[in-house]
Amino acid sequence: MHDVVVTGMGLCTALGDAPFEPSASAVAEQSELEGLRHTTAAVIERVELRAWLKRRKDRKLMARPAQLALAAAGPALHGSSSERDGMGLYVGVGREPGDDGESAPALIAAQVGGRLDEAAVAGPCRDLYPPLLPLKTLPNMALAHISIHLDVRGENGAWCGGAAAGLTALRAAVWSIREGRCDTALVVAADTWVSAGGVRDLLRIANGASIDAPGEAGVALLLESEAHASARGARAMARVATERAGAPIRQLSDHHAALGDCHAADALLAVAMSIGEGQSHCWVQAQEGSQPAVGVAVAVEGGVACYPREGTGGDRG
Amino acid sequence: MTRRVVITGVGMVTPLGRCVESTWEGVCAGRSGVGPVTRFDASSLPVTFAAEAVNVEPQPEDQGDLKLRLAATALREALAQSGSVAGARTGVCLGSEIGRPSLETLAQAMVDNAAPDPEELALMHPAAPTRLVAAIAGAEGPLSTVSTACTSSSQAVGEGLLRIRRGDADAMIVGGVDVLVDAIMITGFAKLGALSERNADPRRASRPFDADRDGFVLGEGAGILILESAERAEARGATVLAELSGFGCSCNAYRITDSPPDGRGAHQSMAAALSDAGLQPEQIGYINAHGTSTPMNDPSEARGIQRTFPPSVRVSSTKSSMGHLVAACGAVEAILCVLAIRDQRLPPTINLERPDPACALNHIANRAVDCEIEHAMTNAFGFGGSNGSLVVSKHA
Repeated sequence: MHDVVVTGMGLCTALGDAPFEPSASAVAEQSELEGLRHTTAAVIERVELRAWLKRRKDRKLMARPAQLALAAAGPALHGSSSERDGMGLYVGVGREPGDDGESAPALIAAQVGGRLDEAAVAGPCRDLYPPLLPLKTLPNMALAHISIHLDVRGENGAWCGGAAAGLTALRAAVWSIREGRCDTALVVAADTWVSAGGVRDLLRIANGASIDAPGEAGVALLLESEAHASARGARAMARVATERAGAPIRQLSDHHAALGDCHAADALLAVAMSIGEGQSHCWVQAQEGSQPAVGVAVAVEGGVACYPREGTGGDRG
Repeated sequence: MTRRVVITGVGMVTPLGRCVESTWEGVCAGRSGVGPVTRFDASSLPVTFAAEAVNVEPQPEDQGDLKLRLAATALREALAQSGSVAGARTGVCLGSEIGRPSLETLAQAMVDNAAPDPEELALMHPAAPTRLVAAIAGAEGPLSTVSTACTSSSQAVGEGLLRIRRGDADAMIVGGVDVLVDAIMITGFAKLGALSERNADPRRASRPFDADRDGFVLGEGAGILILESAERAEARGATVLAELSGFGCSCNAYRITDSPPDGRGAHQSMAAALSDAGLQPEQIGYINAHGTSTPMNDPSEARGIQRTFPPSVRVSSTKSSMGHLVAACGAVEAILCVLAIRDQRLPPTINLERPDPACALNHIANRAVDCEIEHAMTNAFGFGGSNGSLVVSKHA
């Protein structure tokens, strides 16, 4: 079986595109959340996609999680082999994103005199409803856009399972490389909760318990077999495995004070941050419902940070 | 040495039947499960017909939700055949799409200035059927939900195969469920030009590989398979229906809605499944094609098959009978491959009256054929460009 190493990383968070100092925080008051129990969130002000889009107009086809995913995936592939026919693509995604108000005209048209009108629903409401909206927000759209814009063509999957989604994707990628089903794999997780609907959903999931501020993030890791990385001269940032082997647990909420609750992206964020911080050995785990936790062990090469802590430059392997 | 994985139970609900045998009988008889939409008034929509799942009895745990009802019904049929697989070494992996509130629900929420009911939202999570299936079956092992549109359940079945091979689990409950026949989805797909608009003749609307095809027919249903390691099935004396011998998948990296005309992604997926199964192309006796009946998909898939297999391989698309079950199609069509091997009988593509020269294949047109086969492949190619192929083999 092949050893699996991390040779590329991309982040799209409210604190930028690089790992951050533990004292930093992007959580701030958000006017759009006024009137809710939680009015703070960590919002990414600008998702930069120009370098990765084949056609700039395609951005209009992308819901927020797909944008976050592509913004992270692009940098993770920087410097990798241009041969991507066999590169795996494994994506963990969260809840369906909100529609940014696109359906509002249709829903308003369903009302007559301030009440729901059946004829109006079947008529003008249906006519005005954006026909591509349900398709744009399908859970696999992050995978689709990464594949299309970055030419990744190998084994793939998109998992929906709350906080465990990213780790399920990461474990599938590790196994695929170990078994020789692919030499390289891009693992991505993306999620967004920074809307009124997101806050309501977080509260529902919490079932009465307090919640952290909502956040959003895209995270991507490029994995390779050690032999493949070595052959192309790529530097290994860390080694990943599916067995815990006594590694201490890193909590998924460690970054919530800085980035808010990013849910389906949290676990992969924890892996990325442990690499960025140079945490030598840790175990990141998450649960789907009441099932046993799934996890990934991360061992940072040499016990030192391999990723620049500030700015956007530096060697990304 | 790689663990062999066998199928010991199957269950399904489709537009043709509320169980495996009634669906199989309908498919082989060349019946159509397509008809006018009955669940709501579709008369003002551009497409007024669909392949709705047959009515099934409410299940105690379904909370009134049709998707959960179909999944629970198919699961119970599969478990009745396999026997209980409860325990910590049994996992669940289903393919499913997100559910959506109806336009009426969304509009009412706006009138009330309130979010849709949280309970209703929870039911719409793609993982809701997975969690229910685990609870009913007493499966305490790994749980995951794949959501790659039309490829979802093909990849879920493939994930189950890989998990057992890897030793993550000894048994996996896999499959998929989808219920997309609603006004929003019909309107959306119709405006994309993806749906057949043969409103005057719904039963002849789904016609994969036919020159007069004009789009797919939206369908719904559920398919569940019980997978086990061969040694576990043997140890407990379970009846083995077939072996699940290979899985491959790929991305088109082409466009969201179209498939590449050269069939590249399809070829890559099928070749990967063959390699995984350790088979040569000429060993596959039957391909249950994705065959959606859209102008773009069918020639792309045909090209992929031509690139991968000898011209003699027999091909049919059972979507001609039951429409496109979207996230459930991969699992349901894998089960049909199990039955084809069991009965040595290959189901037809109905409505194939004028085969499209751009889809030149050895079609099983309009009538089932009896044929000795050892191995069958099923394809599922998704909106967004994910492809999945599975190989089912006669158990030796």
